Amino acid sequence: MGYTLVYTQVLEFLPYLIKGAWISLQIAILAFFGGMFFGLILATVRTFGNNISNKIVICYVTFFTNTPQLVQIYFLFFALPEFGILLSPYIAVLLGMTLNAAAYLCEIQRAGFLSIRQNELDAAKTLNFSLFQQVKYVILPHIMRVLFPPLSNHYIIMTLGTSMAAIFGVEELTGRAFNINSETFRSVEIFSITALIYIVITFIATFLLAIIGRYFFKAKIRIIQ
Amino acid sequence: MERLIEEIPNFFTIWNVIFLAKAMGVTFLLTAIGCLVGFSVGGLLAIFRKTKSIYLLPLRIFIVIYTEIFRRVPFLVSLLLFFYVFQIIKISDDLFLIATITVCIIATAYIGEIIRSGIESINQTQWDAATAMNFTYYQTLREVIFPQAWKVILPPAFGFFIMFIKDTALASQIGVMELTFAAKILNNKGFSPLLSFGTILILYFILSFPLDRFGKYMERKLASNKN
Repeated sequence: MGYTLVYTQVLEFLPYLIKGAWISLQIAILAFFGGMFFGLILATVRTFGNNISNKIVICYVTFFTNTPQLVQIYFLFFALPEFGILLSPYIAVLLGMTLNAAAYLCEIQRAGFLSIRQNELDAAKTLNFSLFQQVKYVILPHIMRVLFPPLSNHYIIMTLGTSMAAIFGVEELTGRAFNINSETFRSVEIFSITALIYIVITFIATFLLAIIGRYFFKAKIRIIQ
Repeated sequence: MERLIEEIPNFFTIWNVIFLAKAMGVTFLLTAIGCLVGFSVGGLLAIFRKTKSIYLLPLRIFIVIYTEIFRRVPFLVSLLLFFYVFQIIKISDDLFLIATITVCIIATAYIGEIIRSGIESINQTQWDAATAMNFTYYQTLREVIFPQAWKVILPPAFGFFIMFIKDTALASQIGVMELTFAAKILNNKGFSPLLSFGTILILYFILSFPLDRFGKYMERKLASNKN
């Protein structure tokens, strides 16, 4: 053995790491909502589109869900410059994560669309609801109750996925851990603290999402599984 | 673009193909070992998690903490953590072994959760009926719970197998010779990144697409059986 864990040196960098966590959070939220937006478009096309557009969306989803996110970002970051498109690391990671999330979130949102039954819409029409009222009182409450748990789950997965940005030199939580590692060589201490910060972040996120889900959408989410 | 077409015959030489095939084997092996160990140990964790005995309470608490921790740490961070821990305790410096152990530990946490939710999906009345017939815990699981639960367990389990095929790409960061690392080497040798990373994307797709299809097929088949 002959190795003692010394945390004092690393703890000095704690504010630096927490600022990195903030950047991680930024990437996760931006990519998540970008993915939601594109996923919504894809899911709409998939549900209401014709045969050809359906096939295109299916191809997109199968490709992006069956290849690693890391290699997709590698591809964006290293191969696109061949065509004269230079992306900064931050943009490449954000774009890669958004495209990847769009594929997953398309599937999730489509499942939500399919969960609405025709009876409900008929009932709403019988009660003479306008389109806006139908969406507000019938479709959204139903969809959100079904969609909220898998969406929040995917958000947590994406928060963990942001650690990939470190490989491309984005200074988020893991990237800053790399920096401190090359400065102090206290590797085990640094990465254990980083892991701890990730655990705390995801716990806070799950907790907030569970409260939002229960309060607004009556969706049941357990904080500890 | 012309440069790319010129490069293609140079890229697909017999040596590069063997090199890529080997790398693909490593990726597959990492995933397969991880999933096998994950399924067996994760199953055990799920079984112990549902026990009621007061003596096993510390074990249950340990299982909860274990799964919560490893499902909330990014794969990259845990990989690096284990990499440096192994350097300290000096058991082995085989990178493949380190990556395999990390994959196994994470897979156990994830698949344990899947199996547990599968067990929990079975109605309480089934448990009660088994208790009324004086089944032991082991008998209840074997005769009543698992024959019904595996239908709930299998579809998400396939999803996670695919997730692990993709997650092993991160093992390239500690230097395991798998597909992504092979692509980086080819890229460093001077091949166009479009070609090397594009090929890798296709190879990953070849690995995971059949599993994806099979998982979806099983899901449909099991769902239609249930109704």
